[in-house]
Amino acid sequence: MPKSSPRRSDVLASSAALLVAGLLPARARGATAIRLGMIPDAGATQVSVDQKRPLRDYLAQKIGRAVDLIVPTNYNATVEALGNGSLDFAYLGGLTYVQAHARYAVVPLVQRERDRHFHSLFITQSAAPIHALRDLKGKSFAFGDTNSTSGHLMPYYYMEKGGIDPERNIKYRFTGNHPATAKAVQAGIVDAGALDQSVFQAMVDAGQIDKSKVRVFYTTPPFVDYVWAARKDLGARERTALAEAFLALREPADAKVLEILRGKAFVRADDAEYDTLRGVARKLNMM
Amino acid sequence: MSLHGLLVAWNTIRSFFPPDLSPSYLSYVWLPVVQTIGMASAGMVIALCLGIPLAIFVGTRAPGWRVVVTLLSALRAIPDLTLAILAVVIVGLGPPAGMAALAAFYTAMVGKVFAELFLAAPPAPLGSLRATGASRLSVALFGLIPLTLPDLLTFGAYSFECALRASVIVGAVGGGGIGTELVGAINGLDYPRATTLIVVLALLVAAIDTAGWFMRKHPRIALVLFPIGIATMILNPPQIFVVRHALVTFAAMFPPLLPAQSLARLPALIWQTLEIALGGTALAVAVAIPLALGSARNVVHAGLVAVLRRFLDVARAVPEIVWGLILVVTAGIGPLAGALALGIHSAGVLGKLFAEAFENVDRAPVEALAATGAGRLPMVAFGIIPLAMGPLAIHTMFRLEWNVRAATVVGMIGAGGIGEALYNAQQHMQYQQMMAYVAVTWLLVILADAVGERVRNRLGWKYVTE
Repeated sequence: MPKSSPRRSDVLASSAALLVAGLLPARARGATAIRLGMIPDAGATQVSVDQKRPLRDYLAQKIGRAVDLIVPTNYNATVEALGNGSLDFAYLGGLTYVQAHARYAVVPLVQRERDRHFHSLFITQSAAPIHALRDLKGKSFAFGDTNSTSGHLMPYYYMEKGGIDPERNIKYRFTGNHPATAKAVQAGIVDAGALDQSVFQAMVDAGQIDKSKVRVFYTTPPFVDYVWAARKDLGARERTALAEAFLALREPADAKVLEILRGKAFVRADDAEYDTLRGVARKLNMM
Repeated sequence: MSLHGLLVAWNTIRSFFPPDLSPSYLSYVWLPVVQTIGMASAGMVIALCLGIPLAIFVGTRAPGWRVVVTLLSALRAIPDLTLAILAVVIVGLGPPAGMAALAAFYTAMVGKVFAELFLAAPPAPLGSLRATGASRLSVALFGLIPLTLPDLLTFGAYSFECALRASVIVGAVGGGGIGTELVGAINGLDYPRATTLIVVLALLVAAIDTAGWFMRKHPRIALVLFPIGIATMILNPPQIFVVRHALVTFAAMFPPLLPAQSLARLPALIWQTLEIALGGTALAVAVAIPLALGSARNVVHAGLVAVLRRFLDVARAVPEIVWGLILVVTAGIGPLAGALALGIHSAGVLGKLFAEAFENVDRAPVEALAATGAGRLPMVAFGIIPLAMGPLAIHTMFRLEWNVRAATVVGMIGAGGIGEALYNAQQHMQYQQMMAYVAVTWLLVILADAVGERVRNRLGWKYVTE
């Protein structure tokens, strides 16, 4: 075995030290911080987490504890994280909430006012010959994530009610999230798609979607959607503090935080609101 | 594909360029990079600590060693992505899950391959060591390990490179590191940043490739894995109450169960998976042969060789699942995207192996052909290609086996087949169904391995490669 020179071992030692230093902050924050999760309904990257920093800072200041913001790569991982304790508190869709409640008894705390009467939008290209649900026959279609309420469950339900059998009458695919659905329709990758109204509005406002290219042709009746829920064993004090922090959000003082949350004001949430949605999820075998 | 489809695909590909190389973004990237290296190191450290004793157990033919071999083979047949999904459900989000999945997969791999190396060690020196009354441990320490050290190191370096690539797959389902970031970027339509991450990944794999080469010369470098791996483990402990939750969750996944409706769809799903594997392999062979001829030093000019080899390196450095994520965006979902993804990565692997096969052909017949005044084309067509047919066939068989496993992995990102069914069941928390699909996948992989081994034995060929 050849001898390694001292210089090389120095290099190795210092590179190891650098790696250790790089891994440290995660631990230092993780120990006492409240771990806040969000379903990746608009994608998840370090950058997108960083863009949500005002939300994190606001909550940390209100509850007087460090907050870690984590956006898991998929909806299921978010629910399981509430079950196995990797997350304390999370932003869930209606469907993910009823799944998490059934499996892990998560506690609903707060939601946006608009979540109580939420809508899905069906969109298509401006020039496409699609003006109502029945025109979807034989067309290609994009849902968002398979676990999305406004991107899959409710659009699927209302399509069936409108006389379209998604399994037979259309060729559908999952894009994974709402912005991807909007882009797929705009680019012509699919003929039509269904997505969250608040995401669509935000994309139009930000100029990410060209209103002259994409047109809404159907809006679903209202249903209950997103909610912030706590893991079963999270202490009452933390729960109250988190709920109060959200309920105290006001425009224009907290405009930045509210913009991240795509809402105007928060209200208390409870489990009974989700009974109808639970019925639909059971009927469509999605929970 | 229609003209409109091609236009859409072209526009999407264009949106991946130029990569985002702004300092502000690069300052984000280093943390996931460090996490990935840490995760791969920790996974390898655990794998070495568990795998080597198991391999010694087998290598010294301790009572019950055949049972251990069977268990290791069984564990190895579970695709890494499946293990990662299980780890995220059971251990929780982030690096602990990633480390657990990598540790399980590579314990099986290190255990199995090291055991095979030990079993194949020359029996004479070991016999005389035993004759002195040495214990099993001493036989291992002073006989088995020194006798097989070069092979152990070669394979160790190679599996670390694989672990690094696999850590991307693991990250894709929530295990942290570059994989999590890359999937996030692609799902978030942040394509220029996805390109940056792919470039970083390719550089990382290339760096490990080079490091592995040095390691074979200076084996002590390998020890650096231990501080990095152990530090990562200490800094990323799983949560305290995870054990009970893990056992309960895992127990609830049994027995595997498929409802009648899904059972009826099963043959079609299996066929789709095989289609992806066969299609991908066929495509890879078709692309690899001309590329390999262009990068064989005995066929073309060295300048062209250098260019084409770098091209093959990139195709190889990017794992199938990443090609799949990109192709699902551009070519849409379905078996075609899956087959293309396997095809590109496999073309990179086969291109390199084929080129080496072409370079290694017996020179005498080729020179004889040249002496008749044959041009370059007839020389290749009637000399080099027929002479390299044997190795070409063997490499292709190995790749086909590998691609059966990989086909289930790309299935999870929308390419169809068993993999997609497995992923959907997991996403809907139908874990008993998920386990049924895991079992089917597992049987498919075992079957493919067995068929491959039989063919290879008949042809009398053996070697270890990706």
